[in-house]
Amino acid sequence: MITDLFIHPTSWFILGALLMPFAKRFGVQKIWLIIIPLMAMATIYRLPDSFGIVNYLGFELQFGRVDKLTFIFLHVFTLMALIGCIFGLQVKESGQHIAAFLYVAGSLGVTLAGDYLTLFIFWELMAFASTFLIWYRKKQRSIEAGYRYLLVHTAGGLVLLAGIFLLYQSGHDLSFGVFSQEGAGWAEYLIMIGFLLNAAAPPIHAWLPDAYPEATVTGAVFMCAFTTKTAVYVLMRGFPGFEVLAIIGACMALYGVGYAVIENDARRILAYHVVSQVGYMVCGVGIGTAMALNGVAAHAYAHIIYKALLFMGAGAVLEMTGRSKLSELGGLYRTMPLTMIFTIIGGIAISGFPLTSGFVSKSMIVAAAGYNHQTILLVMLLLAGVGTFLSVGIKLPYFIWFGKDSGIRAKEAPWNMQLAMAMAAFVCILFGVYPAALYSMLPYAASYQPYYAYHLSETFQLFGFTGLGFYLMVKYLKPHDVSNLDLDWFYRKGSVRFINFAKGPIVSANEWVSNVYKNIGLSMTMALARAFSWFDKEGIDWTIDGSARNIVAGGNSIRQIQTGRIQHYIAAGVIAVVVVLVVVILI
Amino acid sequence: MIARWIDYLRERANIVRGCFFAFLLFAVLFDFVIDRPKPHFFGDTIIGFWSLFGLLGCLLMIIICKGLSHVWLERKEDPYDN
Repeated sequence: MITDLFIHPTSWFILGALLMPFAKRFGVQKIWLIIIPLMAMATIYRLPDSFGIVNYLGFELQFGRVDKLTFIFLHVFTLMALIGCIFGLQVKESGQHIAAFLYVAGSLGVTLAGDYLTLFIFWELMAFASTFLIWYRKKQRSIEAGYRYLLVHTAGGLVLLAGIFLLYQSGHDLSFGVFSQEGAGWAEYLIMIGFLLNAAAPPIHAWLPDAYPEATVTGAVFMCAFTTKTAVYVLMRGFPGFEVLAIIGACMALYGVGYAVIENDARRILAYHVVSQVGYMVCGVGIGTAMALNGVAAHAYAHIIYKALLFMGAGAVLEMTGRSKLSELGGLYRTMPLTMIFTIIGGIAISGFPLTSGFVSKSMIVAAAGYNHQTILLVMLLLAGVGTFLSVGIKLPYFIWFGKDSGIRAKEAPWNMQLAMAMAAFVCILFGVYPAALYSMLPYAASYQPYYAYHLSETFQLFGFTGLGFYLMVKYLKPHDVSNLDLDWFYRKGSVRFINFAKGPIVSANEWVSNVYKNIGLSMTMALARAFSWFDKEGIDWTIDGSARNIVAGGNSIRQIQTGRIQHYIAAGVIAVVVVLVVVILI
Repeated sequence: MIARWIDYLRERANIVRGCFFAFLLFAVLFDFVIDRPKPHFFGDTIIGFWSLFGLLGCLLMIIICKGLSHVWLERKEDPYDN
């Protein structure tokens, strides 16, 4: 089992997180941040098909199940971890790196999980660890957004857990396999809702644009890559061909892009755009043909890299200028030209320009919708493509680097940020120029050739005339210092209204009851309690040699370590989970 | 260096605009000469369909989203404070 432990890529990141404070103490934190992802990358090439099977409390847990689908996701996750770590090298706080490592560990654990219990443990580890990536920004808004993020994910986790319970009740089998649409009942759909919450499908998506813009600069780069794409992976594993997913996905693609057109904060635009891009993938899972699923895997890979590149670009601007609102930026091309070039590469890749990774990945899902004669889906996805180019391909770079000169003369981002962006930009172009590098990793047998005249013609026209639309309407798109309501209204404003309602009638009823109790019940209870207390102290404790007094003294000393800060308790909880995991894997 | 190059282009905005419109013309003309694969739906059979789709889609998206934002969704920064 010890050998099993070290072939599980997750163990590298858990080890990395546990030893990070020592690495910092000895001044090798930067080297540690590079070595761990590299070790994990080396590990994924040598994984056996199945490993780490543990019998625990009568359940069979499987920590490792590997096939081609697992491999492509492990590949991009570990590569992304490396790029993210390089981007975050200048962050001195080891806490942020620990959170990022545990988050990646959770994501790899979910990807490799062969049963729902293992999946659930790592799923929750991801949610808790990533919350710290928001809190480490240490602003009031981030702390509040972090709590909301955690609450939403806890609720989603409970729905998933309910589904898992029902699944166990029906078949006593928790292995993580493929569900069929015909036999699906409550258990399957609850699990699907739990997954869809992490995929940020409307109406349960608002946590994402709420939390990501408030995360730390490096935290957002990690978060945009892992949570939603892990959800896409588990949907691919469990629910291929569920028609409802195709419809939800196409709606997501348009919903996200609609908000990206109107938002002002650069990282909020990108966050909404994650919803849109994940929509393509969820739609592809719903279409469910071999070509669609290959498209989903390819698009997940490409998307992780270019969306991280865009978040790195916006993050570098935030780091150097302290601003992320488009209305406060502009004219930065003079002093941050390299960041501009990298971000524009990300922007054209996400739009799907020829010779970039978006062109060879997104079109597979669109083509799969076409081959399946799902015309409405096809048109929705292409329209979302138009919006993508409009919002992230043109609007975002234009108002940050050109537009009205804001007078900001920020310095270019540090070398490590530029190196990370250059690596991501290289991958975006590599896959565009040489698609076989991406296609050779795809899990299913379905050939697709992206470069043919009609596809090129379609793309030239779509982008050219979307550009014309922007050119005609640019004065209407000028950013203003506003933000837009979304469905998080229901738990942000709605909950306040509920509390106000509760303050009125419910509180007065409660007060009436407690008055009655105070006047009549309390005096009787107190008298009775005094009598029992006397008997307990003088009678019983005396007979068993005063041990109760000692327990009271012990309790007082334990009380000292309770700080009352929820962050401390959650951190302690996460550490406990990690320790339990290590123990379980070791046994 | 890059910044100076961009300044150079910005001073000659007319040429850049000319190149852009030339590209639009090329995109439409290119659609006349290519081989069309088996169509998935009626749009695939019309020459220049995607030009119209791109332009109208972009304009409609701006008008609808900006309009919705303006009359309903838009709030001064942080509507949730207080």
